[in-house]
Amino acid sequence: MNCETAQRLMATNDPALAQHLLSCPSCITRTHARYYEAPPELEQKIRRSLSNEASSQHGSQWRWLAIAASLLLAASVAWNVAMLRSRVDPERLLAGNVLSAHVRSLAGTHLLDVPSSDQHTVKPWFDGKIDFAPDVKALEGFPLLGGRLEYIEGHPAAALIYGRDKHTINLFTWPSAASAADASQTLNGYHLLSWSGNGMTFWAVSDLNETELRQFVSLYRQK
Amino acid sequence: MDPARRLALFEQTVLPHLNAAYNLARWLTRNAHDAEDMTQEAYLRAFRSFDTFQGQDGRAWLLAVVRNTCFTWLRKRGNQPVEEFDEQMHGAADESPNAESVLIQQAALGSLQECVEALPLEFREAIVLRELEELSYKEISEITRVPVGTVMSRLARARKRLQECLAGALS
Repeated sequence: MNCETAQRLMATNDPALAQHLLSCPSCITRTHARYYEAPPELEQKIRRSLSNEASSQHGSQWRWLAIAASLLLAASVAWNVAMLRSRVDPERLLAGNVLSAHVRSLAGTHLLDVPSSDQHTVKPWFDGKIDFAPDVKALEGFPLLGGRLEYIEGHPAAALIYGRDKHTINLFTWPSAASAADASQTLNGYHLLSWSGNGMTFWAVSDLNETELRQFVSLYRQK
Repeated sequence: MDPARRLALFEQTVLPHLNAAYNLARWLTRNAHDAEDMTQEAYLRAFRSFDTFQGQDGRAWLLAVVRNTCFTWLRKRGNQPVEEFDEQMHGAADESPNAESVLIQQAALGSLQECVEALPLEFREAIVLRELEELSYKEISEITRVPVGTVMSRLARARKRLQECLAGALS
């Protein structure tokens, strides 16, 4: 029995014939089970929710793009700043190193390699230890305390130590080809004055007030 | 893929099967309101996972999403023996006499509807996919994620039940 016959027989509503149909439950289902069609408004609802979903995905794509772009921007700004700093700052870096040497010399027990107030003792002491002869001077009001060997930025340097009341001044000097302009800066409350001349670089560091430190420097440079 | 193109492609390949989706959801949930919700939910899910669509039959792919959506929902509601469905236990011999007597009262040849609705979920699903969607055993097996043998035995049992249900209604 095919499905059309089944359908025709069922329409007769004759129980005896209908009984016969039971040999083909598959046919009955195909012909008599309801095929539910979607309500007409459902398609519109679905289209709406899909387009919402698509635009939110679209939006989130842009959002991610925006986030990625701003991260990139931030990274590049940071990098540029870092580059700028490192470009601007060999001087600042050097100042940091000089200050470290100064603080280190005061913090430990190693302020002086050669404790002497006599410039003629201190100067020869460096002889043979470094390949340059630092200019050791006796200065009015700033007693010489001695000398020390330092190492700044990978180069040996002479540290001449002067006193002023209870303050200590480290005057660092080492040979350098480049001549730098006079400079002064304050780092962590310490004053640093630097200059160059005769193929040498000089850095004077102290917690002494700036005026007196300048006084010290000009005295040293005059002599 | 460009979102606008993705949507267009989805509407073109999947949206035309709305009736099939709704019909399956309607038979599985057995009411119009839930069927609408399930269909809408299934379409959203399908759209979100449209990337897994490999250009196969859009209808079978969508029906798999619909049935998973319905099963998840039915399981959550906990009023359907979905999880621990035992083929043996649900054999024709084990029908609950109570349900049977209800069916006998309700069922008539003209109300085949009730007989199909009274089928256990997995049987009902197999019958709808086979008789109403006219899908192959293989397609049904892929949609319902059971072996073809299981599909065939479910169909055989479902038909036998229908036959009994109808016979009861006519006697």
